[in-house]
Amino acid sequence: MSEPRQMNRRDFLKSSAVAGVAVTGGGALVTSMGTGAAEAETRAMPPLETKIVKSVCHQCPARCGIDVYVTDGKVHAIYGTLDHPISNGKLCPKGHLGAYILYDPDRFKGPMMRTNSKKGRDEDPKFKPISWDEALAAIASRLNALREKGEQHRFAIVHGRGWGASDAGLLGDFGKLYGTPNGALGHSSICSDGSKKAKAALDGNYNYNAYDYRNTNYLLNFGAAFLEAYRPYNNNMQVWGHIRTKSPKTKVTVVDVRVTTTGAAADHLLLVKPGTDGALALAIAHVILAEGLWDRKFVGDFVDGVNHFKAGETLEPGTFKEKWTLGLIEWWNTELKNRTPAWAAEITSVTERDIVAVAREFGVTRPAMAIFERGPTTHTNGLYNGMAIHALNALVGSMYAVGGLMNQMGVPYGKLPVKADEFMDDLARAAAERKMPRLDRVKTKEVPLASNNIQGIAQSIVEEKPYQLDTLMFYLTNPIFSTPNAKQWEEALKKVFVIETSPFPSETSVFADIVVPDHTYLERWQDTPTYPFQGWPMTGLRVPAVKPLHDTKAFGDTLIEIGKRIKGPMGEHYKKLGNVENVLRHLAKGFEANPGDNGVNSFDTWVEKGVWYKKPYLYRQIAGEFYEWDGTDYRRPMSNQEVKSKLFPTESGRFELKSSYLGHYGEFISERLGIPPTRVGFPQWLPPKYTGSGDLHFITPKTAMHAEGRSANLPHAVALYQPVSGGRNEMFLEIHPETARQRGIRNGDRVRISNELGAITARAHVYPATRPDTVVLPFGFGHWAHGRWASSRKTGNGCEIIPNVSEPVSGLASYYTVKVKVEKA
Amino acid sequence: MARWGMVIDLEKCTGCQACTTACQMENNRLPGENWQDVLFYNEGEYPSGKLTWLPRPCMHCENPSCVAVCPTKATYKTEDGAVLINWERCIGCKYCMIACPYGVRFYAEEKQKTQPDIRKVYPGDSGKMWNPPYRMPEHKRNLKWGVGVQPKGVVSKCNFCYHRISQAPKGTPDLDPNDPKLRDFTPACVVTCAPTARYFGDLDNPKSKVRQLIAEKRGVRLQDQTGNRPQVYYLAGEAATIPETRSVRRKQS
Repeated sequence: MSEPRQMNRRDFLKSSAVAGVAVTGGGALVTSMGTGAAEAETRAMPPLETKIVKSVCHQCPARCGIDVYVTDGKVHAIYGTLDHPISNGKLCPKGHLGAYILYDPDRFKGPMMRTNSKKGRDEDPKFKPISWDEALAAIASRLNALREKGEQHRFAIVHGRGWGASDAGLLGDFGKLYGTPNGALGHSSICSDGSKKAKAALDGNYNYNAYDYRNTNYLLNFGAAFLEAYRPYNNNMQVWGHIRTKSPKTKVTVVDVRVTTTGAAADHLLLVKPGTDGALALAIAHVILAEGLWDRKFVGDFVDGVNHFKAGETLEPGTFKEKWTLGLIEWWNTELKNRTPAWAAEITSVTERDIVAVAREFGVTRPAMAIFERGPTTHTNGLYNGMAIHALNALVGSMYAVGGLMNQMGVPYGKLPVKADEFMDDLARAAAERKMPRLDRVKTKEVPLASNNIQGIAQSIVEEKPYQLDTLMFYLTNPIFSTPNAKQWEEALKKVFVIETSPFPSETSVFADIVVPDHTYLERWQDTPTYPFQGWPMTGLRVPAVKPLHDTKAFGDTLIEIGKRIKGPMGEHYKKLGNVENVLRHLAKGFEANPGDNGVNSFDTWVEKGVWYKKPYLYRQIAGEFYEWDGTDYRRPMSNQEVKSKLFPTESGRFELKSSYLGHYGEFISERLGIPPTRVGFPQWLPPKYTGSGDLHFITPKTAMHAEGRSANLPHAVALYQPVSGGRNEMFLEIHPETARQRGIRNGDRVRISNELGAITARAHVYPATRPDTVVLPFGFGHWAHGRWASSRKTGNGCEIIPNVSEPVSGLASYYTVKVKVEKA
Repeated sequence: MARWGMVIDLEKCTGCQACTTACQMENNRLPGENWQDVLFYNEGEYPSGKLTWLPRPCMHCENPSCVAVCPTKATYKTEDGAVLINWERCIGCKYCMIACPYGVRFYAEEKQKTQPDIRKVYPGDSGKMWNPPYRMPEHKRNLKWGVGVQPKGVVSKCNFCYHRISQAPKGTPDLDPNDPKLRDFTPACVVTCAPTARYFGDLDNPKSKVRQLIAEKRGVRLQDQTGNRPQVYYLAGEAATIPETRSVRRKQS
């Protein structure tokens, strides 16, 4: 390549002034420079071979198959894999930035040991590089010492995004063999446990749904950022392109508390008062019943075929014959009969006219579905908001129907080469018998029904309840930044030995005693069974695209290597397990008997294609009858017992509008939420309890660029983070003009956002479309130790002023209940 | 010879900015230097505020005003319809940036908006403004087309991924990224667009999908009054609008 030029702008202007060159104006000046072939000949460099490695993205849970372009040992491009069922050759905006994560200049270069015994936000850990052998020996010796004292419960592993059997899937056995109840303390209670619990309460499936979006004609979306952050984002957008141009066009109504691209692209955007989605859903249900719009084939009908639902009037239970639901008349009598649109308008601030219009549209359009996620559920009334919304799916008959909701099937993996149960020693068995409570207090009287309570761990450590923790290991989570009352972790992590596995600097790593850095996703082996998608089973495979850039190790291998160093049979178990690649090879043996639709029947073909999947989904509801796939179509009728065991695993085997599951916990729910025990089973209106001493709702949503905390240090992502409000390089607080005026705040002013927990600052973006009672500061900036770009933003971290309150049944942290005060900084 | 053009369906566009990041990745752009930008517009106020967006590549005009003003003939129109910048000729005078009615040309200033400046992390050498490890393979870089990591002091812009489209088989009516044989010749933004809001094809071929879409869905060109005749067409559909060129914002007291 030749040097481009000698003349600069100044030189040119000088020479043109002398020569009197006129700049040509008007008219086309088309200069042909030749195309394609001729130009190619002038190239000096011989083409280098480009290798495409099939892998799986890691920036949200969606698990998009990716083609990683590698030339001369360097990753220079990432595109979606064309024959991958989720990505279909496409990607979301984050997906393309994977190489920037790989080459992040701030990555940890290898294992390190802390040398500064003082810990604090501003204390330099003074890390000293150590070898892997030293690091693993140091961790193992600590764990062996605890074991010898019979105090294994004082070791805990807290994990974030688990991908599959080769990372988080290894934690269960590790905890069992080691003898701690804390081997796999998950993050789902700061994620989406609210929607799972709402679904479990009604239809018996404790899971996210799979959806047949492409065939639906009405999408009623409560607080799921379908076109920004709701998984699988990339596929959602593919679906969007289809449903918005097909015949008939799918109508979309979005219920949210702020203006989103999802809401803006929809037919209707209803801006509800935060935490009141449930009232809106109940009013929609009321209209559907009162106007006779429910699906009679699924729900059933009045014995006399006449609609007797009238606002305010109770009905005799015997008058209605239910088919697949349970408790409809009781629900109407105790809750729905008074949940009129006029009532809901008062609570939600959405007009009665809009509520009725949406209810009628939703009620008369088939197939229709109601979806929801954290918008309605991260509130103190989140479970009941979610139940009210999910109940709509029963009323319009969308469960397991074309254009409706399903549940995800599992992957027929092969068995691991060793069984953990055979390697438990006396210490492990004694620990199992002792039944020590979990560090996060899950399954104790305090948190009896939740799966996880990561947001409670800092308190457990600080108060040394249920016991004093000794060693805490983190995998793919950074709760000191991302949980409510995040700052409490700064006290907690001073009290324990911290093992951090992040490939990047993190706020956790500032408090770490030892760092054993993970590979980034383009360097590791990992299986990735799908999140609920279209029901049929699927699992992708991460294949290293390049050799690790630094002296790092995949978390799964770090765990196995620690295991090998634990004395006794546990060590033997991990020696036999070998490494992550060996685990994956054994998982893939399951494909021999179940070849995938794309021919994947072995480890090697899995590597080649990057994904195993097998269609179709096996179950379908057609006009109120359930059928199983018979090899060519959905024709084999299912018995009530089969429906109960496979599709509606509730006590009744039906979609329960009076939840028997919740009925068992009447006393607990009554005590925590103030609902009479006889009423706890019904989807119902429960007013949210707002927290925080302030007068404005404070919403901290995810934007499309938010890659689960791993994009904040990518300058390319940072420059695009909050496009809706012009947030480029900086995250703005969206505030309504009148709200701003009352506080003397002008557009662009730095503001102080505070409540009793403290204060953060941000710049205000005066945004007229915002609700006047709500301010919005997207989550993701506000890092103080996450690399040079992440840590130099001028926006605070909202989690520092969100009180740590959870919905008691699901255990989901109530991020959006908080109120704050906003003033000019 | 094809005359390449693009169609963007605003009814499908979700404003996700994947076109922006795919372009940055493919073409080694600096943070915030969005050859393929998405512009967002806010009008009205709660509860009926209106948010719209407009993806904006270079329009590759039939009659490009940038070409007309370029004093060194650095910016030029190819026979197959692209407007390119020859970085060996460009002197960075920025006349073209003023002449362009669409604001799609960029000049990398000394002071980067996204700090710290990534160019200092990956300093350039021998005619490269910067030298990131994820840069385009050297053999694909082409200064005459304005492709790849750029030299300092030149203007840059969307080149329709000329290193890709110029390799397409002759006579192809449309570069469809779902066709494995054509995928690698299709512009990055078109390849990745998840809702399939983008189409790329030969505007001179009556059988091309782009011609069909322009006809059936009444494709429009931005600022047609300038006479530039863009080769990028927009489909506004029933549920999409082309936003006002600037947002209306209530004056603060």
